[in-house]
Amino acid sequence: MSFYLVQILNALSFSMLLMLTGLGLSVVLSLLNFVNLTHGSSFLLGAYVAIWWLGSGAPWWLAFPAAFLAAALVGLALERFPFRQFYTRTHLMQVLLTYGLSVIFADLMRWGFGAQIASPELPEILSGVVFILDMPFPIYRLFIIGFGAVLALALWFVIDRTIWGAVVRACVTDRRFVETLGLDTKRIFTVVVAVAAGLGGLSGALGAGILSAYPGLDEEQLILALIVVVVGGLGTFRGTVLSALLLGFALTFTKVWIPEMSNVAALAIMALMLVIAPQGLVARKVRQV
Amino acid sequence: MTETVKAFDAAAARSTQVNRRIACVAGLLVLAALVPFAASDYQLRFAAEILIVGTAVLSLDLLVGFGGLVSLGHATLFGGAAYAAAVAARAWGADLTLMVGIGIVTGMAMAFVTGIVVMRTIALFFLILTLIVGQIFWEIVFHWRSVTGGADGLRGLPALELHLGFTTLDLSSSRALYITAAVLAFAAWAVARSFVNAPAGRALIGTRERQLRMSALGYDIARIRMMALLASGAIAGAAGALYPFVNQYIGPNSMHWTFSAMMVVMLVIGGVGSLYGAFIGAAICLGIQTYISSYTDRWQLVVGLIFVLTVLIMPRGIVHGVGSLMRGKGKP
Amino acid sequence: MTIRTGLTRRGLLAAGGATAVAGMLGAPMIARAAGQPLKIGMVTSLSGPFAGLGEAMRAGIAMALAEYGNELAGRPVELIVEDDQAKPDEGVRKFRKLIGQDNVDIVSGVISSAVALAVRDVVTEAKALTFISAGSANDLARGAASPLVFRPTKTNWMLGHTAGLWAAEKISKTGCITIGADYAAGREYIGDFVQTYTGQGGQVNQQLWAPLGTTDFGPLLTTLASARPEFIYSFFAGSDAVRFLKQMKDYRLHDKIRVLGGGALFDQEDVVATVKDAALGGQNTCNQSPTAPASLDFSKAYKAARGTLPGEMGTAGYVTAQVIKAAVERVGGDVAAKDKLKEALLAQPVDTVFGPMTFDPRNNQAILDIYVNEIVEGEGGPVNQVIHTYKAVQDPGPSA
Repeated sequence: MSFYLVQILNALSFSMLLMLTGLGLSVVLSLLNFVNLTHGSSFLLGAYVAIWWLGSGAPWWLAFPAAFLAAALVGLALERFPFRQFYTRTHLMQVLLTYGLSVIFADLMRWGFGAQIASPELPEILSGVVFILDMPFPIYRLFIIGFGAVLALALWFVIDRTIWGAVVRACVTDRRFVETLGLDTKRIFTVVVAVAAGLGGLSGALGAGILSAYPGLDEEQLILALIVVVVGGLGTFRGTVLSALLLGFALTFTKVWIPEMSNVAALAIMALMLVIAPQGLVARKVRQV
Repeated sequence: MTETVKAFDAAAARSTQVNRRIACVAGLLVLAALVPFAASDYQLRFAAEILIVGTAVLSLDLLVGFGGLVSLGHATLFGGAAYAAAVAARAWGADLTLMVGIGIVTGMAMAFVTGIVVMRTIALFFLILTLIVGQIFWEIVFHWRSVTGGADGLRGLPALELHLGFTTLDLSSSRALYITAAVLAFAAWAVARSFVNAPAGRALIGTRERQLRMSALGYDIARIRMMALLASGAIAGAAGALYPFVNQYIGPNSMHWTFSAMMVVMLVIGGVGSLYGAFIGAAICLGIQTYISSYTDRWQLVVGLIFVLTVLIMPRGIVHGVGSLMRGKGKP
Repeated sequence: MTIRTGLTRRGLLAAGGATAVAGMLGAPMIARAAGQPLKIGMVTSLSGPFAGLGEAMRAGIAMALAEYGNELAGRPVELIVEDDQAKPDEGVRKFRKLIGQDNVDIVSGVISSAVALAVRDVVTEAKALTFISAGSANDLARGAASPLVFRPTKTNWMLGHTAGLWAAEKISKTGCITIGADYAAGREYIGDFVQTYTGQGGQVNQQLWAPLGTTDFGPLLTTLASARPEFIYSFFAGSDAVRFLKQMKDYRLHDKIRVLGGGALFDQEDVVATVKDAALGGQNTCNQSPTAPASLDFSKAYKAARGTLPGEMGTAGYVTAQVIKAAVERVGGDVAAKDKLKEALLAQPVDTVFGPMTFDPRNNQAILDIYVNEIVEGEGGPVNQVIHTYKAVQDPGPSA
């Protein structure tokens, strides 16, 4: 019993990581119709910044805002140039541009942080375990579950219940109309891209405690996030959450039951979802014609 | 990309442009024919590899350039055929006809399976689903150790030969391999060209441009796309069948999604929708990767910069970019 | 012979100019006298998953060559390092380039077993003198052994087998679970361990496999926690190893379950230096140890140069140079006489920082001392301490 309870917690913590990484990608995709493959780089940058911060002796909890800020700043710069010119281009061109950028960032980070694997020194209060009956479960993973849930709720609240969220949603529906109201949509887009990149950095900072950081992690996380976002239905909040949970549980429980085949099984489940729902789990209503 | 090919069609309509393109292709052919006389053993084999990979990229161009279907699973068709050829070669010997036959059949079979799964998806959904299907194939190859050698791949392949009935040609030398690859590349280019000019190819462009209108006109979109996939699979498969003989080795990397991504990059750098641009893209990418890494550890930085600059300055690829520079029009 | 024909062909293609013709005519006249540079090519992974390992290997060979004053048997040495990205296709291309274009006298390197296997036919066909520094697939000492391919490193069997002996003798004959990365190397390590261990009367309760590149070991660790084994035998490498050990500690299993591993799981530079105390108490069998008597001086020099004790790859790079030095000096610098060089190298052992190294005449595979290391708290953090040495372990070779 406790065995399955812990496995469910395992799945939840991994799903939260997938969701947080996916959300940043998803927001940009839904709002700007922009495929940002540098999201993996934001993740890795956040991870490195957090590791560096945690090793520096400064208050540990500031590591997360620091990672958010670092990634958000890079996102901000990128939005000015060259993302902005590519919002109206085809997805293929966006993919190539951002893929090229992610290759550059990967190499720059390797230059700056080295090719060796880096691992954070977690603070005392996050590095213990709790026992569920007799099975150990790391506190840090509980922290990720809690942090992820709070962050997702906050994001949902901002987008769905505040005036800023309303403006952003209005931009998605009809950008020109928002502009006639005298709002600067360009600035809105800049903020959204920066925040999304920051979210990527934040998930990297959180993920580093489990995954460590090394060259190549950016790509691994990017692919998982892309699968999550696309299977969820491009850029729908509920879809991303659902699909992250699905992938997290699939990857966890296939490892419990059929560890050797876990990747194939999890991939097959995701493929099946797209075959059944070619527009993703939660499809946006798109006018055709 | 849509605009790319529209422009390409418009250009093709003008006869001067057609002449220029024919001159271009003829130039490339002459160049290709001269290579065996000028290059070393190593360079010849490298050139053969470029032609083989380029042929696979050309088959991808059928999907991307004419069907608007950006696949991230194309290496599956190429690598799958390569494995089939390698396994067959170990069992029955490496006769060229047999190899290419097996490659084409495997490529088409895998394209068919992929096609059935991805049929209903478009755009990013198509991209991700082809990626997932490709990775499932990759996992199978990676785990099926008794047949594929797993992570270590297959080596110890017999030398490539061509049985002509009265005599047997040994194709294992670099020069023979290059000539074989060049013939294959030219044949693939000719087949692809006739495919896009045939009604099926025209209909494919139609599905890309105006999907709803095409179905209203009574075209079966799924069927047209499947035909494009099969044609693409056949060409990729034929190229894949030669691939193990470049290095007398085949490994799971040849099926990995990163190789698929590389093919897309090669295609875009060369020029989407031009067919022969595939070879130029393959040459540039493989050349950079092989030569720049000898000089600097930062070669990935250089590769990334070249991608980004290409996308920024020559968004329609080297072929169009250089073309428009020559015409003195600057960038489109 | 290679040098001259190589020069000729290269000259021909260079530009077709007058210099080339002169070079071609001149080529046969150039005597392979002392003083002509000795070109050593090394292919290692400088990008991709093994980038850190590759940098260490390059640093190792560069250190050794610098110590020799960049000169072997009176010939200045030119080292050309190429990146294989840990991809076999890329590795083969780089070997072909080194042999066909750069005309190196000796090729060496390779971390990934898959790359080592892939290049085997290429170097064999080219009759190139080859020193595989680290790629350790068993088959390279068996079916894929080749007359001019030398392997100054272990095979996976040598580590799996000794771990089986050690576990049965010193740890426990019951309550063992194996957990390994599900790819060729993992299968070989675990398979060879299980064979020897059960042959010694040990019992394996369960075998778990994690996909290569597993990010989250949580589900598997929970399975381990509920199975409560006496000890586990495990093989992971690189980032997988770091995550496995870190997450073991996250789940507080590191002080409940003893871990015995392949050398890579507790590699000093690549893993232990990163996971630090999460590695404490772990044991491994490895052909390298920073605390082995043969390695002490080198370990000190390496730490001074790179800030960390050497792991297997840094040491392997250094050893490659030591073995090449021995071979080249035993033939007075005349590396074109390949058979003579082989004979001389096989004739007597080479003293390396791995330990004394004898080559098996059947397959050119090194016969090596295998150390049992335990991770203990050292001066500068956790360190691989030798607690036992299996002398002169020899792969069963072609007979297996």
